[in-house]
Amino acid sequence: MSTISTHLRNFKEPTKEQLTQLFFSLPIEPQTSEIQNNGKEKETKGSNEELERMEISAMLTLGVQGVEEPAQGKLYLIPPYLCFASHDRKSVRFTVPLCTIRRVERLNARAGVYALGLSLWHQMKIVVQLTSLRPTADLFCSLLRDALKAELQRGQMKLVKGFVKSCYSEILVAAGEEKEGEAKVEDPSPDSPDYMYLGGLGLKFKFPGDPKKLREASKTKLWTTYLKAHGRNLTLLRYPQCTRLVQVGLPNRLRGEMWETLSGSIYLRFSNPGAYERILEENKGRISTSTEEIEKDLHRSLPEYSAYQTEEGIGALRRVLQAYSFKNPETGYCQAMNILAAAILIYMAEEQAFWLLEVICDRLLPGYYSPSMHGTLLDQRVFESLVHKCLPIIHEHFQAVDVQLSVASLPWFLSLFINSMPMVFAFRIIDCFFCMGPKVLFQVALAILKINGEQLLQIQDDGGFIHLMRDYFASLGDSAHPASPDPRARAITRFQELLLVSFREFAVITDETILTERRKFRGEVVHSIESFSKRAAIRNLKTLERFTKDQAGLIYDALFKAICIIPPPATALPPPPLLTTKETAEERPETRIGLRTFKVFLSEICTWARSEKIVSNGFQQRVDREVAEHELIDRLFYFWDTSFRGTLSFQDIVSGLDGVMFNDLMENIEWFFNLHDKNKDGFLTRDEVLTLSESLLFIFRFEIGDAYLGAVSRFMSNAFEYGDALLPHPEGHDPEKDAPPQIESNQPYMNLATFRMVVLADEILESFFETDFSGTFRLEPVPMMEIPNSSSGIFGGLWSNITSDDNRKIFNKFTDEIGKSIGKHQVFHRPAIGKFTTLEEPKARESLLTPTMRRTASKASLKTPESPTDSSSEKSRPSESSLLTVDQGSTSTTSLASSMYSPMPSMFQAAANAAALMERTPFAIDDAKDDEDDSDLDSEIEDDGVMDEVDAFLEEHDSGVTDAERELAKDLINAEPVK
Amino acid sequence: MADAASGSTDRSVQVKLVLLGEAAVGKSSVVLRFVSNEFQANKEPTIGAAFLTQKCRLEDRVLRYEIWDTAGQERFHSLAPMYYRNAQAAVVVYDVTKASSLEKAKTWVKELQRQANPNIVIALAGNKIDLVQPSPSSSSPSSDAEDEADDATATPGEGAAEGGESLRQVPRDEAEAYAQEAGLLFFETSAKTGEGIVEIFTEIAKKIPIDQILASSRGGANRAGVAGGRTGGQQEGGVNLEENTAKGKDGCNC
Ligand SMILES: Nc1nc2c(ncn2[C@@H]2O[C@H](COP(=O)(O)OP(=O)(O)OP(=O)(O)O)[C@@H](O)[C@H]2O)c(=O)[nH]1
Ligand SMILES: [Mg+2]
Repeated sequence: MSTISTHLRNFKEPTKEQLTQLFFSLPIEPQTSEIQNNGKEKETKGSNEELERMEISAMLTLGVQGVEEPAQGKLYLIPPYLCFASHDRKSVRFTVPLCTIRRVERLNARAGVYALGLSLWHQMKIVVQLTSLRPTADLFCSLLRDALKAELQRGQMKLVKGFVKSCYSEILVAAGEEKEGEAKVEDPSPDSPDYMYLGGLGLKFKFPGDPKKLREASKTKLWTTYLKAHGRNLTLLRYPQCTRLVQVGLPNRLRGEMWETLSGSIYLRFSNPGAYERILEENKGRISTSTEEIEKDLHRSLPEYSAYQTEEGIGALRRVLQAYSFKNPETGYCQAMNILAAAILIYMAEEQAFWLLEVICDRLLPGYYSPSMHGTLLDQRVFESLVHKCLPIIHEHFQAVDVQLSVASLPWFLSLFINSMPMVFAFRIIDCFFCMGPKVLFQVALAILKINGEQLLQIQDDGGFIHLMRDYFASLGDSAHPASPDPRARAITRFQELLLVSFREFAVITDETILTERRKFRGEVVHSIESFSKRAAIRNLKTLERFTKDQAGLIYDALFKAICIIPPPATALPPPPLLTTKETAEERPETRIGLRTFKVFLSEICTWARSEKIVSNGFQQRVDREVAEHELIDRLFYFWDTSFRGTLSFQDIVSGLDGVMFNDLMENIEWFFNLHDKNKDGFLTRDEVLTLSESLLFIFRFEIGDAYLGAVSRFMSNAFEYGDALLPHPEGHDPEKDAPPQIESNQPYMNLATFRMVVLADEILESFFETDFSGTFRLEPVPMMEIPNSSSGIFGGLWSNITSDDNRKIFNKFTDEIGKSIGKHQVFHRPAIGKFTTLEEPKARESLLTPTMRRTASKASLKTPESPTDSSSEKSRPSESSLLTVDQGSTSTTSLASSMYSPMPSMFQAAANAAALMERTPFAIDDAKDDEDDSDLDSEIEDDGVMDEVDAFLEEHDSGVTDAERELAKDLINAEPVK
Repeated sequence: MADAASGSTDRSVQVKLVLLGEAAVGKSSVVLRFVSNEFQANKEPTIGAAFLTQKCRLEDRVLRYEIWDTAGQERFHSLAPMYYRNAQAAVVVYDVTKASSLEKAKTWVKELQRQANPNIVIALAGNKIDLVQPSPSSSSPSSDAEDEADDATATPGEGAAEGGESLRQVPRDEAEAYAQEAGLLFFETSAKTGEGIVEIFTEIAKKIPIDQILASSRGGANRAGVAGGRTGGQQEGGVNLEENTAKGKDGCNC
């Protein structure tokens, strides 16, 4: 009853290219793409692959003078997108689908300047000056032209117009423009037929929070201005102002769209029109473990929010979660996703929420919600390490009182704080999360600890920690400086303080930091998850049979390795419908392996199930191991498949091995007989006797000398002699004279007693069944495959190149060739039993070892895996390991990384007197008041301090532009197109 | 704030208790009933784990339960050791209307017995009995129903439809026998009505080797409950519980 998952082994570090795509919030093609590609998706992917990517140095200037500084950076052509990021990655960046580019002109400015004017949808113009050498710039232009042409052919250009209508920002900007023109026009009504914008449940059921307090009107106005000048939805240019506006909190109506835009889920929605509906349609009525689990939690997701007390809200939640689980069956559904989905559905429509959920689960929080939750565990480990580095005193105290950070911090990360703090605040962290990426979670979490540093040093146990955090979160709305004489200081809430500390003091935590730390701990986390599931698998065995736990562990290791090499069929077959009762339907999935995996498994623990060539070529001696193929192995597989499912579980294998590894002489003979008695009638047919002989020959195939061959041929002649003699004879029949009666090859022919007699007649066979056979099964530590761990820089990379299977093969082949040419190449097969190391044949019956002696010898192979029972294996082992142990070279990136963190000077200067404690339920929804009454668009704006707050986030930006370049940029804006 | 603890420390013994069991069997509801004597029809699923405390008076001693209420979904399983490490007591909850939840409970018990603190006191609680009442005696008719279902593979579970009992999938006898065999305390409970809830914690309190805990924690005296006075919704000495114990278990009124 357990699943064995090897998917953590398949992890690959993202390539540089993928990291760039991640940065630009672009979808990454799955490395192992088995996602049910509906034809359309495939098509588009195919056409994009042919289009080349390119990056080029460039200076970006916004086509409206004086609004933004020009910025030096890099322009990336990643069809079907064009992206730009300034060198500091902060001053400006954009990701625009190529189809939003309406015109590209070569600009005619000064001599030697290569500049392009791009007209984007939304009547925006940007100028990029390509600062590379001329041929490079020419190449870029021609690639850009090809890519644009391809988009035109795909008809993508036509989709833009319809798509942007689904975006609220269009209404905002349009309304702003109308206002300028004719002052009379009222607020745009959402019902106006021109704008079918998508919105969340909040539109109908109210948004959490008091709009006055949230200063919705001012924020909306600021955004309207920004979006007008800098593009929006598909064409948004992100200058520092954008980030700052996000940091003070997105206005409710715009929030959903901005989440889409900032996280990049909008590109998924744009490029997969109708996919959401289609997934739901195609999977209509389907029931799975995920849908059952979703059903359980639907009424348990933000139940205080009024929409989730109605069928409308519940229905939306159900559809989004189900659609996700259908699209990503591996992840399916994880508790906490319901809370995320419920939260984002307040601000976005189902389709938007679906794609955003996809981006969260796959790209922003990879592995957080997977069945092993490895991403969650990894990031908790990373967080712990960051606390160690940035807040060493707190870390030390936590160690001293044995408190684990994750008891409190795990839910923060897993449900993006929605679960932990009042929702209005959580949403503001989420705003930043989508804008600045996952590092935000770490920054905020560190800031929380830092602000509470003094009290944290007082806590003595988990409970104290949790209480402290709960109280802190409940007080986030209070003034951070209640005693201050300055009203402006008093107005700063503890939440604002939290964000300031997060982004100012923990700006050192960058995407790079997180990546490096994750790389460092991945191996450790994978190992602990795997050993946890190993222990669970062993514990969940119905019976260990006669094995010890350690032995079961060795069996598990071999099985695990086999599954790594040949993964079992993706999902366990559903139990046959005839047997379905309510209980079996709910049975948890269990990993069962097929025949191919079984062969690999058996080759690990059974000497005759593999072919081992010992090769020496003068440079190395190595063992080439191959999985053997023989009918005997298939037979064994079906023999152990006692429930006739065509697959074996861990339990089946343990029980099967138990049936053969502890046998004495008589039991082994019987076992071998039964193995070949297909219909279990207690008789072997003539054919089965032949098959059995073949099985023996197969087992003996690499033994040295002719002894075994002789034994088998004696066995066969004896078997048929006795067998024929014992056949029922017609009356008056003289066995001496007449030929044996004809019998059908599939008739019962030989029973166990006869078989036993024939076997015991031969000394070699007797000793084979007495001990040698059991001894061919050996539980030895499986040389484990390396956990993918790319931590150690260059050496790690180099080594992993060498150790890749292919390269090793090449290396081996190479040395073999040399060995052959210098006459040192030798190959011999390692025998399965290896009793006879010389060609000398044993004498007949006399030279018997006493059975007891032999038995202890063979049992030893069970208990002490180190002691090899055959000499050849000893000979070869060192070579095997010598090939595998190359010093990985401990290039420590640690020292570098740690020096980056400067000690925090203002460490424990926590906020003054904590406000009175108030207990809030974690999901408390803040008063949802009507926000239709914010007609005061123009008043107040200067006074309500939004700009103060915006300015608080002002950071140094280095756009890397000189004055001369600034001048040039000015010229470029006004330049005429060439021709 | 920090002082509040020292007052309550002198006689109180801290007991770490963990709740385990399949998703939605009612773990959080059981704790909520015990700690605040409330019931919420739609309780959010627990993410990671929740932490609550409640005091319980046993003769002349005060026990302070530090309760870790864990998440039930299978994939949270690997997080559980973080919460049950050092626990002195565990309540493993299943849902009497869901047979599979008892199976899950059994694997939890097995895991606890092998991986957790060796002296851990484990209680098995079959929750949601309000759904299968009013006939609380139960065992024989329902085990019949089980048999029928087993025989008639084609039409599972259509046989029994008498009152609330028809919902029951785990006969009391069966679970009780298992509990006995595995050495667990056993209860059937309802977080909704409050039935059996206090008893769990009372019986656990009796079985906990208190003196041993006292002895072992004497060294770090202040360990016991910095968080003392801060627990939400809890009255001094757990007054709210007394009304539930009216039907009178002996000495201990928590
Ligand atoms: N009728 C009835 N319903 C109950 C009872 N206990 C819990 N429930 C309901 O069952 C559902 C799940 O309860 P929870 O307490 O959240 O379950 P849980 O075991 O904590 O679930 P997870 O946190 O997901 O592991 C909720 O809707 C409860 O209202 C009970 O005794 N009787
Ligand atoms: Mg719960």
